[in-house]
Amino acid sequence: MRKTLLTFTLIFICACATTTTQVPEWKETAFRDIENYKKSFLTGKQNAADVQFNRAREAIASGNNLNLLAKLYLTKYALQRAALEDFNDGEFLRINRLHPVSANLAYYNFLMGSVNAKDANFLPDQYAGLIKPLRNKDAAKGLEELLAIDDPLSRLIACGVWVKHAPYDDYILKLGVNTAAEQGWKKPLWAYLNALQKYYFQTGETAKANEAKEWLELLKR
Amino acid sequence: MPISREYKVGVFVIGTAATILLALLFLAAQKGFFQTSHTYTLSCRTGDGLAVGMPVVFSGFDIGRVHSLELDDKGAVLIKIRVPDKHAKWIRQDSFFVLYRPLIGAARIVVNTDHLESPPLAEDKIAEVYVVNDINDAIEKIQPLLETIERLSRRIDSMAAKTDEQVFGREGTLPQLNKILKDAAGKLEKLETTVDNLNKISKDAAEGTQDLGALRADIDEVAQTLNKVSRDIDALLYKQKKPEIKLP
Repeated sequence: MRKTLLTFTLIFICACATTTTQVPEWKETAFRDIENYKKSFLTGKQNAADVQFNRAREAIASGNNLNLLAKLYLTKYALQRAALEDFNDGEFLRINRLHPVSANLAYYNFLMGSVNAKDANFLPDQYAGLIKPLRNKDAAKGLEELLAIDDPLSRLIACGVWVKHAPYDDYILKLGVNTAAEQGWKKPLWAYLNALQKYYFQTGETAKANEAKEWLELLKR
Repeated sequence: MPISREYKVGVFVIGTAATILLALLFLAAQKGFFQTSHTYTLSCRTGDGLAVGMPVVFSGFDIGRVHSLELDDKGAVLIKIRVPDKHAKWIRQDSFFVLYRPLIGAARIVVNTDHLESPPLAEDKIAEVYVVNDINDAIEKIQPLLETIERLSRRIDSMAAKTDEQVFGREGTLPQLNKILKDAAGKLEKLETTVDNLNKISKDAAEGTQDLGALRADIDEVAQTLNKVSRDIDALLYKQKKPEIKLP
């Protein structure tokens, strides 16, 4: 039976072979694993995410590409930021010492909340509007710019950076909750609900804090 | 006064005999010869795959053996399992028993206990055994996949002529096939762990290990092939979308 299976799959490969585009295999594997890693991490499947991250790392390492390796680590940090977690930036800094790339450093600075004018040119376009309010710590303007980011993951990362490095209000936290909930990303959703509860608690709105707490408990059940 | 030779020989013989006896006793005790055990009776609708001496497993640990098998008046199989006293605590009233027959490797009875605080299972009570049969499941699952691939390979030429929507659309043939293949690859990868475990178990049986090694290589190859197929289809489907690694 295995032979039959093999035969038919091989026939199918041959049939497909004529139309495939030529991308190095390691790059394709890395790309796929990174995409899967993002999904697994955000949906709270940490075990799967670890495996996929390591596989992507291996694939990129076998292509001897420090630039992409740095991007992989930055992606990991960005996801952790999006889930309001702290990250250990040792690996990126090591890579950056050996093979500095402006775009990567700019992105790293953005995640650390310290963007200067030079970095702004190298950041992905979607974050361009956010730089000024982030530097001025202007929450109202910041919310506007956050809402203008189309890609949900980018918006969530930006929210995470904002919450970590600038004064925030419950609107920004709620934006995080809604963005995560729309995509079904459990991990950031819980993190934002938690943050919302803490925020209400600190501002003395105990009723709302309790409500947020119970809400989260109901989801976790 | 010198000790007589007879006396010395006597002491030596008695000493040796005592040492041997002690060693035997020690071994027997270690093997659980003096251990008292509980016997539980389970029932199963089929004796297929059951054997005397089969392990009873809890959380991956051997906690007992199948002691005897017999048929009752209604034709059901009664399985008597013997569990040493120290392991009896894992068997509770709400434990459920599964006869697990993996695709590769020996069958075993798996005990699942959710609530360790519930009262212990009475020895005169007969618990039901559920059967999980990897072999049949695997064949059942692979069968439709085979048929799909067969059908597809026969129609692959005519497919190219059809409209893109029918082939490449969300509900088209290729995305669905892609999903099936990915599924199959995942299942085969899972199988690898089973083989790995089995490799560990049967280290001593040199010949068996060799066979398994060959089988493993086979599975590796099939998994790789399937992965490649799914990658090719991915490339085919998303040929506009270049795999460019960007910062999110």
